[in-house]
Amino acid sequence: MTRTRSFRLSPLVAALIVAVLQTAVIGYMVESRASILRNGADIRLKTSPVDPRDLLRGDYVILSYPISTIPSSIVAGDIPEDGTRARLSVRLKPDADGLWNATEARFEDMAPEEGSVILRTLPFIINTYGAGVLADTLFVQYGIERYYVPEGEGRALENARNAQELDVEARVSSDGTPQIARLLLRGEPVYDEPLY
Amino acid sequence: MYRSWLERDLKMWAAQGLIDAKTATVLLNEYDSRPSAFSVGRVLLIISALLFAAAVLLLVAANWEAIPRLVRLAGIIGVIWAAYFGGGALLARGAERLAAAFLVLGALSFGGAIALVGQMYHLSGDALQAALVWFGGTVAAAVLFRSGAVTVVAGFLAFVVSGTDWTQSYAADQMLLLWLMPLMAVIVIALARYTGAGRARHLGYLLLVAWLAFIYSEYSTATTAIAIVVFGAVAYLAAALPQSPLHAIARSAGSAPAFYAYLVLMLGLVVLHVEFDAVGERLAVGIVTLGAAIAGIALSGKENGAVRYLGYVAFAAETLYLASETIGSIIGTSGFFLVSGLVVAAIAWAVIALERRLASNEDKVEA
Repeated sequence: MTRTRSFRLSPLVAALIVAVLQTAVIGYMVESRASILRNGADIRLKTSPVDPRDLLRGDYVILSYPISTIPSSIVAGDIPEDGTRARLSVRLKPDADGLWNATEARFEDMAPEEGSVILRTLPFIINTYGAGVLADTLFVQYGIERYYVPEGEGRALENARNAQELDVEARVSSDGTPQIARLLLRGEPVYDEPLY
Repeated sequence: MYRSWLERDLKMWAAQGLIDAKTATVLLNEYDSRPSAFSVGRVLLIISALLFAAAVLLLVAANWEAIPRLVRLAGIIGVIWAAYFGGGALLARGAERLAAAFLVLGALSFGGAIALVGQMYHLSGDALQAALVWFGGTVAAAVLFRSGAVTVVAGFLAFVVSGTDWTQSYAADQMLLLWLMPLMAVIVIALARYTGAGRARHLGYLLLVAWLAFIYSEYSTATTAIAIVVFGAVAYLAAALPQSPLHAIARSAGSAPAFYAYLVLMLGLVVLHVEFDAVGERLAVGIVTLGAAIAGIALSGKENGAVRYLGYVAFAAETLYLASETIGSIIGTSGFFLVSGLVVAAIAWAVIALERRLASNEDKVEA
């Protein structure tokens, strides 16, 4: 291979383009979350204990919610083929305590409805056991299962989560993507999430 | 590697009086002055860039709460800008080696920034998307700077993308990697050609081999294995046969295309040995393997040392395998070792004879 460089951008122009491009990507990541926090619909979720209990990995706490387990009795509509990957749309409604629970789920898009919020799960593999029916319970994720905390503070949150004293306030974009807005320990906000 | 061989040979020629010592020094200096030459300084520079990048990434991992979030964000974006502009300024001055270290630092810091944002803003999920974005940003940097070092980073990132947990991704469906892996391999190979980073293309070829392994892991059937064998054979013949229209392109990329195609063919045959249980089938696979080994040695033995040696290894392994399957159970362990010894000796004799013949042919061509 010859070493002649027939064409090359001026290195400083290249530096400018690459730096601007990569900064834009980072900015887009930050802003896409901030816009959900700014404009998203408010929901409040209870957290569930996670087994095994010691799930503090590095500096994040694993969060699980009652809506992370969807009983197949509330899944309406067609079921995708066995072995394919699909996302579930889950309709949430608040109960008397202001905590939101899953009331209906579908593998297709759902129409918005007054007083309810629609969350979209991460894709998961459908298992119908070759019989065209779902398992009794579906385990799903929404992308809000991790919360990074300062070093050493994870244990207290974990204990609270396992004592079912930890609530999460999230905001949901119109396409069903949630972002954590703040954590509540026994009803008191502990980690408030600023936009930036 | 080549440099130490060259140095040794030059010393030997100087000692024999074929060239004088001064010429030897001049020749060695010429080699060292090439930009592609291996140099300790260059390697140390890249290592220091990696260490800097590791420091940046560890800063992320430590999630240093003492610094406000926006300051941390600005800090890592500042590192990215400084790395690219530092690299650009050094390139403009012609300091290519130091520039390469800066550009590698920039590309790695971009990945650090993605991780930092993900962590600071609790963006769990979509590791695949994050890895893809990192790969894309690195490819852009490699193209715009026409940098071989960044191409190597992109080559490794292609593996990172392939290895990420795609169950954590919003966008991925199960067919994604099936077309993404070859696409990334093509990008890496094209980048390697464009930037002149000859060695980085091996990462692209290895990614293609990994892709075939992935296909087999998804569809573990004998049919898949046969398809891989056929694909490897066709690709090898396309690269190695002088009559093939692709021969010229493949030769311009050195011996790698033919070698990796041949490697795929051989790996497919290894898998077929596992897939087939019946005696007749195994015997058939064995004969095909021996045939492929001989065909590889005969077709590209002369011009492609890598294929030749892989052919030798395949031939020897298959012969021993067939011997153990057929007569191994009859003659007992010690007898089998005796036969193995004879077989290996016979193959070694054939290899030595062949190598000698190839060497004398080359002499004749040169003379």
